[in-house]
Amino acid sequence: MAELVLQVRGLRVLRDGVPVVDDVSFALPAESDTALVGPNGAGKSTVVAAVLGLLPRQAGDVRLLGQPLSPQGRWPRSVRTQVAYLPQSLAVEGRFPLTVRDFVGFGFDPAGPRWPWSGAAGRRQAIERALERTQCSALSARLISELSGGQWKRVQLAFCVVRPRRLLVLDEAQAGLDAPSSERFQQLLLDLRRQEGWTVLQVSHDLEMVRRSCDQVLCLNRQLRCSGSPDHALSAQRLAELYGPGYVPYQHHHAPLP
Amino acid sequence: MAAVEALPALLALPFMQRALLGGLLTGALGGLLGSVAVLRQLSFFSDALGHSALLGISLGILLGVNPTLVLVPFAVLFALLVNQLVQRSRLPTDALLNIVYSTSLALAVLALSLVDTYRGNIQPLLFGDILGISWPDLWVIAGLSVLALGYLIVSLRAQVLVILSDDLAGAFGVQISAHRLAFIVLLAVVVAVSIKAVGVLLISAFVVIPACAARLVSRRFSSYVLTSVLLGGSCAVLGLLGSGLTNLPSGPCVVVVQFAGFLLALLWSRLVVRT
Repeated sequence: MAELVLQVRGLRVLRDGVPVVDDVSFALPAESDTALVGPNGAGKSTVVAAVLGLLPRQAGDVRLLGQPLSPQGRWPRSVRTQVAYLPQSLAVEGRFPLTVRDFVGFGFDPAGPRWPWSGAAGRRQAIERALERTQCSALSARLISELSGGQWKRVQLAFCVVRPRRLLVLDEAQAGLDAPSSERFQQLLLDLRRQEGWTVLQVSHDLEMVRRSCDQVLCLNRQLRCSGSPDHALSAQRLAELYGPGYVPYQHHHAPLP
Repeated sequence: MAAVEALPALLALPFMQRALLGGLLTGALGGLLGSVAVLRQLSFFSDALGHSALLGISLGILLGVNPTLVLVPFAVLFALLVNQLVQRSRLPTDALLNIVYSTSLALAVLALSLVDTYRGNIQPLLFGDILGISWPDLWVIAGLSVLALGYLIVSLRAQVLVILSDDLAGAFGVQISAHRLAFIVLLAVVVAVSIKAVGVLLISAFVVIPACAARLVSRRFSSYVLTSVLLGGSCAVLGLLGSGLTNLPSGPCVVVVQFAGFLLALLWSRLVVRT
């Protein structure tokens, strides 16, 4: 039986006294790619935030690599460094004085206080390698505010891959990308997942991408409505139950990602 | 030419030497904290804090206590209160700050109108009196500068991640609330201490202008912070020298020089940085 990287049991999160998500349970086997899908307001981002300890939870047991998330939303240090997270958007407005290389470097550094000159050589090598692996070497001196949407997403992957991790959590990582950029991002994510042994949890509205690249789908609408393989969870009947009877899925029939 | 000839005599004056050192430290400190404050969209916070400080000064006068002693605890209390309001209220931060600072200003004017015996000049409070800066003032500013520099160096990663996204920072183990609070309290103390030199109306310029100018011409985060510090310090010194030579008010002179620096940075960014 595959190792379970993340286990969530009976998760409940209230907002203003009203449950946003309730009784959500799932597990992510090692090196799997799981999509969390559902309509707007279903609580997908809330589940992600609660699992990462960013939102208080009212009930539920969350374990990462067997270690429990504390009631205050803190991971033990040994497992906290094993998680990378990319939120929906980052506040990069106007001219932001941070180069791609410097940004990726912040993904390498530990969470606590650090003198800027400590471990400089190993840090530099790790940054170069991460940029190379995400096809971002040519962008290293660019400002992060000068990048296109697709480039910025690849740089964010470099930020994640700059040090070894076990779990990668993406919240609508491909939102706003055009089809070729989205395709390139997904292929890169797949390659890195295989090379790094990442377990991936991604919130997505792109059901075609989910169908082609994910191993497991969690259908959420405040509660977990169904879960399983893409063929099982994304059947027309289950999608109609999840999104409402008027929902008609449109299939592009792309070839599945290799 | 006459101005150049007058310079050695001006530099020989002890109060001018203290003022230049004070300007250098205050300007550099404003540039240092401003570099983070501007990216964290706290520019208006420093402005509101400066204006609200007038209430602290007025309360000090009303209670017969040295206003400078009231100012630091008042500014810290104000910062903590605003921080709580911003976190708990669902109103936009700029609107909330506007409410707090205009109310503070109104209360300050009302408090001052109740004081019959106050014969002090309000102008130094509004525009600063950097020429009246003392050695103890300088030691306090120097100590604060070391503290602020040390804090920002060791927490650089946390600051940048919090600027980019609270969630990103939180997921990477940054104690967001602690860092937010620490920065806001530090900014409040610096604003309170600098008010004697710069004045309540101009303090935000010391925080905002050098950082914005540096943002236009810098590519790396470290060079952005350094440029903001250098611009803050050098503009303060040039402005004070201009003030001393022309006998014009010191605070406004510094701000005008800062603005000239900002225009130069804008020009530089158009001509050099983008080519």
